[in-house]
Amino acid sequence: MTLDEKAHQPLAELIAAGDSVDSLYSALKDAFEGERTAVSSADDLKALRDRWMGRKNGLIAAANDAWLKAAPRELKPQVGKRQNEIRQAIEAALEQAQNDVAALGRKREALDVTLPGPERRLGAKHPVRRTLEEILSIFRELGYSVAEGPEIESFFYNFEALNFPADHPAVDEMDTLFVEDKMLLRTHTSPNQIRIMEKTPPPMRYVVHGKVYRNDAPDATHSPMFQQLEVFCVDENITLADLKGTLEHFVRRFFGRGIKTRLRPSFFPFTEPSAELDITCVFCAGRGCRICKQTGFIELLGCGMIDPNVLRSAGLDPEKYQGFAAGFGLDRIAMNKYDINDISLLYNGDTRFLRQFR
Amino acid sequence: MRILRSWLEDFVELPESSEELGAALTMAGMAVDGVEQVDGETIFELDITSNRPDAMNHFGIAREVAAIFRRPLTPPRVEFPEDSRTVGEFARIEIEAADLCPRYVGRVLLGVEIKPSPDWLRRRLELCGTRPINNIADLTNYVLLELGHPTHAFDLDTLNERRIVVRRARADEEMRTLDGLDRKLSPADLVIADAYRPVALAGVMGGLETEISDRTKNVLIEAAWFHPGSIRRTARRFGMHTEASHRFERGADLEATVWAADRIAGLLGQLSPGVVLSGRIDAYPTQVQRPSVALRRARLAGMLGTTVPDEDVVDILSRLGFSPQPTADGWRTPLPSQRLDVEREIDLIEEVGRIYGFGKIASTLPPMAAAPAPKPFEDEEAAARETIRGLGYDEMVGYSFISEKDAERFGSGEPVRLRNAVSELMTVMRPSAAPTLLHAIAHNIRYGEESVRLAEFGRVYRGGSGTYQEPASLAMAATGSAREANLQEQSKAFGFYDLKSDVEALLGRYDFVHVDFDDRDVPDYYVPGRSASVRTDRGRVAIVGEVDPQICDELKVRQPVFLAEIELDKLYDAGLRRPQYRPLPRVPPVERDFSLLVPEGVPFAEIRTAIGLVDYLERFEPVEIFRGKQVPEGHYALLVRAVWQRETESFRDEEIQASAVAILDSLKTKLRITLRS
Ligand SMILES: [Zn+2]
Repeated sequence: MTLDEKAHQPLAELIAAGDSVDSLYSALKDAFEGERTAVSSADDLKALRDRWMGRKNGLIAAANDAWLKAAPRELKPQVGKRQNEIRQAIEAALEQAQNDVAALGRKREALDVTLPGPERRLGAKHPVRRTLEEILSIFRELGYSVAEGPEIESFFYNFEALNFPADHPAVDEMDTLFVEDKMLLRTHTSPNQIRIMEKTPPPMRYVVHGKVYRNDAPDATHSPMFQQLEVFCVDENITLADLKGTLEHFVRRFFGRGIKTRLRPSFFPFTEPSAELDITCVFCAGRGCRICKQTGFIELLGCGMIDPNVLRSAGLDPEKYQGFAAGFGLDRIAMNKYDINDISLLYNGDTRFLRQFR
Repeated sequence: MRILRSWLEDFVELPESSEELGAALTMAGMAVDGVEQVDGETIFELDITSNRPDAMNHFGIAREVAAIFRRPLTPPRVEFPEDSRTVGEFARIEIEAADLCPRYVGRVLLGVEIKPSPDWLRRRLELCGTRPINNIADLTNYVLLELGHPTHAFDLDTLNERRIVVRRARADEEMRTLDGLDRKLSPADLVIADAYRPVALAGVMGGLETEISDRTKNVLIEAAWFHPGSIRRTARRFGMHTEASHRFERGADLEATVWAADRIAGLLGQLSPGVVLSGRIDAYPTQVQRPSVALRRARLAGMLGTTVPDEDVVDILSRLGFSPQPTADGWRTPLPSQRLDVEREIDLIEEVGRIYGFGKIASTLPPMAAAPAPKPFEDEEAAARETIRGLGYDEMVGYSFISEKDAERFGSGEPVRLRNAVSELMTVMRPSAAPTLLHAIAHNIRYGEESVRLAEFGRVYRGGSGTYQEPASLAMAATGSAREANLQEQSKAFGFYDLKSDVEALLGRYDFVHVDFDDRDVPDYYVPGRSASVRTDRGRVAIVGEVDPQICDELKVRQPVFLAEIELDKLYDAGLRRPQYRPLPRVPPVERDFSLLVPEGVPFAEIRTAIGLVDYLERFEPVEIFRGKQVPEGHYALLVRAVWQRETESFRDEEIQASAVAILDSLKTKLRITLRS
């Protein structure tokens, strides 16, 4: 009979078969000592503990039932004492073994910590999106609301309401893509000036962004679809000085303090006066290079005071309200910021490109 | 537009430094794109905005320089001797279409000799990029570059009855223009005709039969004003763009007609023998009067945000050709004929502002007068973007237009078509983002990137007849491995369940009551049986599945591609999940595994439904699926794990036992699922 079997046999039967209380407990103790020396890991230790001290099926619990509880009355004190001794001895030994194992845990084989672990890949944020979010947060600090608006737009909102004379070269210059006679893909985000002014009583300040379209064959610098951002502000006393101050603040926050700006008169049908904002050429730091045509400046955005005709077509009285607007291509700004030389990279989903913006 | 420094010097004294001059012009709105030195001449390359035809010539730029630097402006001299014979004896001009041609001025030169122009004139033309032809043609080009007014020279003797009629073309008329092309005319076109036939496309190009030739002796000079819209339509219809049409389209100077004709007459003596007949024919049926415009001092300051001194306002406007007279609250000025772009107070404000200098205007920030309005669904969108990035999808942006072929394959119903497409590959507004993502996957595979995860936040387009919808769309595509092989693990191919889990992770952020997958209503560009509709309490919100391998093959993609299309608007409408605290259980959960024998064809969703609501059953999930010899025909073995959880009180064995029996009974009666022995 094995020791395990004996642990489940009633004591009286074992004694009848020639065992004694002492021999039985000594055998248990020897067996435990033997198994304990073989322990070399936390797993071994757990197995040893379960085997010996398990609440239901452990050997000590079995001996408690089969030997102690079933002991003839005259042997009870002796068995009780031995049972107690062995339980305490095993508990102490297990405690010691626990410490040994823990100490052992610090002495295992060393890892090459310079080896790579499995790659955890976070997705990339598109560079234009990065640029957009940065710009939005700057204008949000200045109290601007954000809106988007439809891409399939009417001729009215895209041109007429923005003071484009129907028969003017400026309409041609926009290279519009049409879906119907009077419906088109918006060529700029400016229709939202009208859409928002129609619904919002002044004062208002808004940033509008989204995709815009031109009938341009794609190449390194042209894309039939690109992304624009437009800011505008309408109240009773908004001035060109406010436009200048706002844009200068934006440029300083976005490009850094070292960047100089200049506001240069220009022409747009929907602003009057109209201007373009130039900033220090980022390619030559203003010293003059091929890209800035030796001027030290590059064109950043178009802007101006909202034309009275535009305010009027949105239902506002231009004698009472004034406003400024500024709009620019997010693609161009992103390309400047990240030194991207080919606009098609922004739209072909090349992951080798996108992953650079993780 | 090329402007020569020496030519400007004919009219105004220039600053010594060409750099300073260029910078000043740029800052007044005449953008100098480049300065070049050629043969001792300084050439400015100017980019003149379309509203300023008056500045598309040397005298116009000189006027700007005079205003910027406050220097006197000297117009070109137009003194010349006139012959005793009068012009009326030699030519007649009639305007029939006065609506399209309000003024037509003619002068006649007799006895000219056609020959090359003198060197000084040829040189100026060449430096400006105009090819010299002969003295008379060069003369018209010279005056164009100098004064900006397009003129035309006819060989007078080729004009029938020496008569000019300005009229609309007749329906069946044709003419051959100077470029040698025959033009079929229509009544929409304004022509210059002689007694019988059209001899020039008005304001666009002259006719071949009446052009100046070596035999020409007598010349009729035309200096007219044509309606911009009419010129534009005709030029566009014939696909022509000439120096003349460029200016007439933008609005020429009505008064410059006389001046330009006289200037040509004045230069004749230096170029050719011949005489100028006395007087000019000035067909000008209705005198055009432009209204005067007021400029309020307060409005000027209120618009610019800076006060411009009165004397500067007057000086600037006067030098630009206005004549401001003081009024009670500012000035009033007539409008010069060359400045058709100026017709309102705000236009005068711009003129003052740009010459005064935007640089001198203060920089201020407007006071914050209203709190910003939140953008609809801003947080919902941010959550989607953040989740998609966290799941490892690279965000791309693709074109909104696709090819006709893709539209047929990936859309249903009539798509939104472009009338004038950029290219064959971009003719239709996409009804689905699927083609965008698939082409991007193909692009990446072409460059050896075989494990790709891409996502695009964009729009899809539908509608027509003036009404369009542009719902927000999210498309996710993945191919290759879900996990690359590494030192610790084998590689694992990306599969349907990977994408399903990604979509579930995303949907889990929104407040849906339930999210279920089934295999119905999936478009046929997905593989049937390997794709699913994702339904919620807000209807179907997504489709997820493997893309038809035939479609992939056409794109040279020879590996499984998985695609999900998600209707973002429905996610946003559901709103973000609003977490609410539930007390933590104080007792551990109880786990039990069951090995079930399931008839083939019973999907897991049915098994889960069959057990219904069971008290304290926290989870009931598949752990292992097994098919093989050991499993009876027509069945599969499914190991499921049930987990019970109660907050405070431990379970008794009997309770769990009873619950398990109830579950197994339901499965047996409803689905004939038994425990595996
Ligand atoms: Zn530069």
